[in-house]
Amino acid sequence: MTLTAFIVFTLAAIGTYLIRISGIVLLGGDRDLPPRVRKALSLVAPAAMAAIVANSLFLDAGEWRAFGAWHLAAIVAVAVALWKRSMGWTLSLGALSFAALLLAGL
Amino acid sequence: MAPEQWADLWTGTRAIAPLMPGAVVFGMAFGALVQVVGLPGWLAPYASSTVTAGASQIAIVEALRQGAPAIIAIVTALVINARLALYSAALAPIFAPFPLRWRLALAYLMTDQSAAVSSFEAERWPDPVRRRWFILGVSGPFVGVWILGTAAGVVLGPVIPESWQIGFIVPLMFIAVLVPGLRAWPSVAAAGISVAVVLALKDLPYGLNVLAGALTGFALGSLVPERPRRPRGEVPPQAVPEAGDP
Repeated sequence: MTLTAFIVFTLAAIGTYLIRISGIVLLGGDRDLPPRVRKALSLVAPAAMAAIVANSLFLDAGEWRAFGAWHLAAIVAVAVALWKRSMGWTLSLGALSFAALLLAGL
Repeated sequence: MAPEQWADLWTGTRAIAPLMPGAVVFGMAFGALVQVVGLPGWLAPYASSTVTAGASQIAIVEALRQGAPAIIAIVTALVINARLALYSAALAPIFAPFPLRWRLALAYLMTDQSAAVSSFEAERWPDPVRRRWFILGVSGPFVGVWILGTAAGVVLGPVIPESWQIGFIVPLMFIAVLVPGLRAWPSVAAAGISVAVVLALKDLPYGLNVLAGALTGFALGSLVPERPRRPRGEVPPQAVPEAGDP
C-alpha cells in the first residue's frame, strides 16, 4: 500500500499543480472567466467540503456513527459558525465542547 | 535581497498569521491520520509539501483505507481541488506583471487562505516588485507551518491517546471552513445536496459516495439561481463563500 499511496500522492500533486497554474497561465490577466464557469467553480468548495463533513461525521468506516459527542459538538460548531461567521471561533468552541462532552462520558 | 523586500515579505506573513494556528492543527490531524491508517510517517509531510491541499489529502487517505483503486483516489482529490482553478483565475491579473518563474512558484504555494488574503490585499500594492514579495510572505510561511504541523502530527500521533478521538478535527475543520461562508443560495444548496447524496450512497465502495456527493452537489447547485426573490429592503447575501484549506 505504501507504493500505491506514494504514486497516488505524486499524481494528485502534479494534477493539483496544473489546476493551480491554469488560470494564471491561460488567462494572463487580460481575459476573464465566463460568469457561468466562475459560478460553477465557486460551488466546488462547498460541495466537496460538505461531502467530507458528512462522510467523517455521520459515518464511521461506512457504517452509521452512534449518536453522541461527535454529533453534539458538531451542532455546537455549526451554531457558532452561523452566529460568529468566524473560523477561529468555530474551531475553538467546537473543540472545547467536544472535549467537555468526552469528559462528561458521552 | 534589499531590506525593503524583507519588510514587504514580513508584512505579508503578518497578514496571514491569524490563520496559521488552524493550519498547524489541521496539519497535525492529517499527520496523525496517516499513521493511524498504517502508512509510513514520511508520506504525510511528503503529501503536505507536494499536494499542499489538506481536504484532498484526507480524501486520498480515506479512499486508500477503504481499498480504493488508485485512479479513484486521484480523481476524488482532483475534483476536490478543482476550486483552486477559481483562485488561479482570480489571481491571474494580480500575478500578470510578475516574471514567469515567480508566477509558477507563487502558484505552487497557493492555498485557500493565501489566495483569499492575496486577492484581498493586492490593490494596496501597486508596485509589482513589492507586491510579489508581499504575496510570497503571505503564501510561503503559511505552507511552511502546514508542513511543520503535519510532521508534528506524525511524531505526536502515536502518543495521543485513542480516547481523545482526534479524528473529530476532520469534520470540525471543514465545518469551520465551510459554514461561516455559507450565505448565497447556490452554495447552501450545493452543500445540502452533497450531504444527502453522501449519506444515501453510504454503501458505495472505495469512498465513492464522497466523490458522488461532491459532483452532484456542485452540478445541481449550479442550477440554483443566484438571488431568489426576497422581501424588499433585505440586504443581499455576500457573494462567494470564503473557503479555507490546506
